[in-house]
Amino acid sequence: MSTTSATALPDGGLKNPGAGLVTLDPVHTALLRGLDDLLAGLAARHGAPEVTGPPLLAAEGLARLDYFRNFPHLGVGAGTFAPESLDGLAGGEPPAGLPLRPTGHLLPSATCYGLLLSLEDRDVGEDGLRLSATGRCFRNETHYDGLRRLWGFHMREVLYLGTKEGALEHLEQGAAFVRETAGRLGLDLTRATADDPFYDRGGSRARLMALDPVKHEFSAPDGTAIASVNRHRNFFGERLGIRAGSHGPAYSACVAFGVERWVHAMILAHGSAERALDRLRAAARPA
Amino acid sequence: MDRVAAWLHEKNPGLDGPIDADEDLVEARLIDSMDFLEFVDLLEEISGTSIDLQEATIDDFRTLARVRERFLSAAG
Repeated sequence: MSTTSATALPDGGLKNPGAGLVTLDPVHTALLRGLDDLLAGLAARHGAPEVTGPPLLAAEGLARLDYFRNFPHLGVGAGTFAPESLDGLAGGEPPAGLPLRPTGHLLPSATCYGLLLSLEDRDVGEDGLRLSATGRCFRNETHYDGLRRLWGFHMREVLYLGTKEGALEHLEQGAAFVRETAGRLGLDLTRATADDPFYDRGGSRARLMALDPVKHEFSAPDGTAIASVNRHRNFFGERLGIRAGSHGPAYSACVAFGVERWVHAMILAHGSAERALDRLRAAARPA
Repeated sequence: MDRVAAWLHEKNPGLDGPIDADEDLVEARLIDSMDFLEFVDLLEEISGTSIDLQEATIDDFRTLARVRERFLSAAG
């Protein structure tokens, strides 16, 4: 019994659904999965259990984290068709242009929000807590560009909550891991301070961040940022009532990887998806 | 400095007692990032001089001792 005919892609490959959207073929999918597995090594190294965040986030919860004050333009909402539209739709009416009712939920724009909201009013203890997850994240952008800038993408994060010192240590360990992993993969990365994509770039938060950067990015030679280390001070701990034992409101920090961007950086460095996959497999092999 | 301390207490109602001159106001988020420009405005109003954020560093705002030395020494 042969399965070749059932596994080969049709001529022309898989169609892309539109700007900012992409269907990954088997080689790109193998790259995405393999890179995510490799990046999960940061979680494994520090004993961060793997969890799965929620697929939608309550707008009310995000509002408490100042999400809309900072990034009102990024949010991709979840909507339902109004009941009065349903008969028409079932009768074959085109959906384009029909009003959507808000559900009070948004698609996540970063993996850590769902994890943080799930820890509301919890005590992570004196020693703190690490968690890791990969989630599909969504952001409205003004333009889209291949795997570099997508409407939806995978974000792997390793989140720490605990003490101020623990948060700094987490970021140092994360930065060392990024450098080491990039070295294994043959990626040349540049580290620089970075700004979050604030809506109000002259606003208070953006101005303070310019004076005291809380985010550093690691970028490929074409400028694509593929990883970042972020410290939040005790912001999420205070807003969500997350405590670190006797230390009070938890300090937090996260290391984040845009997985499709790692795929992009690998292809950029090695010339093709196939050669990138060979390099990834060699790097993933135990020494 | 009383006005600065009063502002910090107003923004942080849960704060008990005086704020130590060497307490890290930024890292402990006694100055919330959303209020940072308001804090700069307050210092400008008290000192009567404008503060150029291009010239300043975060350490200039980090503790009450440094704020006094950097921005308010002339105002007493």
